[in-house]
Amino acid sequence: MKKAEELMSMFGVTTDDLKKLVKVALSKGGNYADIYFEHSISNEINLRDSEANGAGTHIDYGVGIRVLDGESTGYAYTEITTMEEMLKAASTAAAIANSSKSFYAEPSVSVTDFPERYKSLIPWTGIGFSERVPALAELDETIFKSDKRVVKVLAKISDSNTKILFFNSEGTLAADERPMASIAVTCIMQNNGRTENGSSSRSFRMGYEMITKELIKEIAEEVVNKTSIQFEAGRPSGGEMPVVMGAGSSGILLHEAIGHAFEADFNRMGTSIFSDKLGKKICSEDISVVDDGTIYSNRGSITFDDEGIISQKTYMVKDGVLNSYLHDRISAEYYKTEPTGNGRRESFRFMPLPRMRTTYMESGKSKETDLIASVKKGIFVDNFSNGQVQIGAGDFTFFVKSGYLIENGRLTRPVKDINIIGNGPEALADIVGVADNSVIDNGTWTCGKEQYCAVSCGMPSVLVNKLTVGGV
Amino acid sequence: MTNNIKEIVNIALEMAKEAGCTASRAGAEISVQSSFTVRNNILDRLQSSTGSTLFLQLFTEGRYGYFSTNRTESDELSVFIKNATEATRLIAPDSDRVLTPRELLYSGDNIDLGQYDNSFYSISPQEKREAAFRCSEEIFEKDSRIISSNCEYGDSLELYYMADSEGFTGESAQTTFSVSAECSARDKGGARPEAWWYESSMYYSDLNISGCGDRAMQRALSRLGSKKLKSGKYNMVLENSVASRVVSPIISALNGASIHQNNSFLAGKLGERLFPENLHFMDRPHLYGYEGSRMFDSEGIATRSMNIIDGGIITNYYLNTYNARKLNMSPTIEGPSLLSISLNGTFPGESPKVGLDQILKETGKGIFITGFNGGNSNSSSGDFSFGVQGFYFENGAILHPIKEMIVTGNIVELWNSIKIAGDDPKRGSRWLIPTLMFESITFNGI
Repeated sequence: MKKAEELMSMFGVTTDDLKKLVKVALSKGGNYADIYFEHSISNEINLRDSEANGAGTHIDYGVGIRVLDGESTGYAYTEITTMEEMLKAASTAAAIANSSKSFYAEPSVSVTDFPERYKSLIPWTGIGFSERVPALAELDETIFKSDKRVVKVLAKISDSNTKILFFNSEGTLAADERPMASIAVTCIMQNNGRTENGSSSRSFRMGYEMITKELIKEIAEEVVNKTSIQFEAGRPSGGEMPVVMGAGSSGILLHEAIGHAFEADFNRMGTSIFSDKLGKKICSEDISVVDDGTIYSNRGSITFDDEGIISQKTYMVKDGVLNSYLHDRISAEYYKTEPTGNGRRESFRFMPLPRMRTTYMESGKSKETDLIASVKKGIFVDNFSNGQVQIGAGDFTFFVKSGYLIENGRLTRPVKDINIIGNGPEALADIVGVADNSVIDNGTWTCGKEQYCAVSCGMPSVLVNKLTVGGV
Repeated sequence: MTNNIKEIVNIALEMAKEAGCTASRAGAEISVQSSFTVRNNILDRLQSSTGSTLFLQLFTEGRYGYFSTNRTESDELSVFIKNATEATRLIAPDSDRVLTPRELLYSGDNIDLGQYDNSFYSISPQEKREAAFRCSEEIFEKDSRIISSNCEYGDSLELYYMADSEGFTGESAQTTFSVSAECSARDKGGARPEAWWYESSMYYSDLNISGCGDRAMQRALSRLGSKKLKSGKYNMVLENSVASRVVSPIISALNGASIHQNNSFLAGKLGERLFPENLHFMDRPHLYGYEGSRMFDSEGIATRSMNIIDGGIITNYYLNTYNARKLNMSPTIEGPSLLSISLNGTFPGESPKVGLDQILKETGKGIFITGFNGGNSNSSSGDFSFGVQGFYFENGAILHPIKEMIVTGNIVELWNSIKIAGDDPKRGSRWLIPTLMFESITFNGI
């Protein structure tokens, strides 16, 4: 209650004001309304040419008002939180419905306290730019000392703190403070006239305590390894072949190949290739895929989603069966089920949509070495930059920054800069081995479905029988 | 409304001076947007918003910081700018962080580039709603294979004003109106291929609403029965709506920051002929009635017609003030405004129309790409690998859609394979890139 009161004071509203806004929002017959206040402060400091010589701060503030009329949505936002401006926004959003009668019933306000999913032990607000510089300088120095071929290092520390106040027509009043911090680095090396680059990052919902000597050493080593391997790498012959996806960032396969297609808005509209597969076996019973918003301090975690639903761990695939879509309130009502806490948005400027949180596959029983040993000719991939999917056709791609050829069961030549393409349901059904080494990748993963949302992903090593690999 | 953002900018500059900044630049924008979305012929979403943001660049004691806020009430802004100035003082000095030399700045009047429709506020919500429904009705129940359609009318108004502490001022205003349609069709095997189309214009009266929905539907239906081809070399025709995908890696590689950081495959190539002798990339920022046209960039540097690649030779990098000083060169412009490309020196609108049909006929057979599916390129080497969707064609006629295929190569080698550039850039695009044809390109499939 204390946090909600504090934020109501900050946004200059009372519970009576909130009720009044909801009443106006439902004045034309909508069946549900919510109000989402947000105040965010973000900072970044950049290192270039071994100097931390650029920094910035950004403030965003406003409120979004949403009205649901069945599956239809009216949405308006304002950056000015006077009652006059908010009432205008509420009236605009109300127009999605066109009944002459309002079904508004004054809710009794209940403040919901949700389980804590993150906390800044050392809040970034107390850490000035100058206090962040040593970490960047140490990262820069460690990378330059690691390899004589390093010619440039670009590094950045960014943080944000977002305060959210939520109220809806059911009387739910909730408040949250969401920290997010990341450290990212790009290394550029030159050798015998060739230039190569590599990047590495970590991101958590944490305070300044995230920045440790161990973390700096870890990402410095990682980025140097990622860059130096590029000098030895070439492009494989392209075409269809078995692919072993390494543990961790291979979770992008799940995010692109099946995660988006399990988001319930696409299924409600009948546009997902998985639209009629709920409850059906879609892959090996060794496979369980989770979307989890409860991992402490994880980039994809939330205490409650952006429509007031508690975050949770949702099994999308359980023992090979499509167990659940990822729901927001609209799709949950459509499917007559409970929301799964996946209604997320980039900011108050956007209406919530079903979005992933942290998507990963649980460990299986195989050993990664056995999966590799079983492949006569294929590739092993473990370093990715981006991916995309066509929800209806099911074709997904992800871009491999580096990996290795597999020849006669052994990792041989490094490969780089190849796109891999497959079809979601076929690729899932084509996973023939799942290793026992599932791990979450803590990079700065950001999903771009209509609006940007912080996510993360994870995976054990898996063997996919056949994917199409880009090559020469 | 414009007077309001001018006042905010001027107050912010004054506050920065009082806080001790040696120089500052401020810009403010107001954005007004609305949209109506119709799904399966039922109103699904309406959205409306007005927003504003103040951007600040502060220079003090050889140091530089960049800031933004949408909290512009005087008391709050004053505290924000004081804190921002203090924060800027805490970072390392860099003597190359300075305002742009005065002689490079735009100093003309607010020239009309044909980008602002005075009727913006007079278009009623009812008209907007009807536009979305008109689009939808071209699809709804027109073909039993269509599973779902989503049609949207959207409009926006952007007002921008910028000034710096040494007297530069500039402003711009642009309106945009659009309709778009997406639809999904049922294919064998449970696949539901989707397709889209959109039309946009800066004047409401120029908006082509009619035909948008039908075009999206025909594109979705044309994707039924897709096949994967064998890996190999194919001629590649790129539709004008997606052709910018193979231009972007070159533009990124010409950016001053990439050049300075040795993270560009075009670093050190200024003045070299890397591309065919008949290839020209040119920025023409003052053309009337185009979305990409502008009189100044985000530093206030006056835009001008500029060759980027001239007869295959790289003639300019994109250099803002900071990167130019780092490279000991003169600033040019931060990035392209209205980029055009040509294979013979005449640019779109200057030569007889050469469009898709003619290019497919001249090409004979190959892969016609209408969309990309992921992929990326290596900024250091120019190596790329993109997922593609499109069609296989022979004798200039489309035979069937393709699926799960990848195009792979090197961007410099790709552009050395260009054989045809049309004269048909899609109206409403920021860059004027026409249909392109490249010969013998590597595709991966079966």
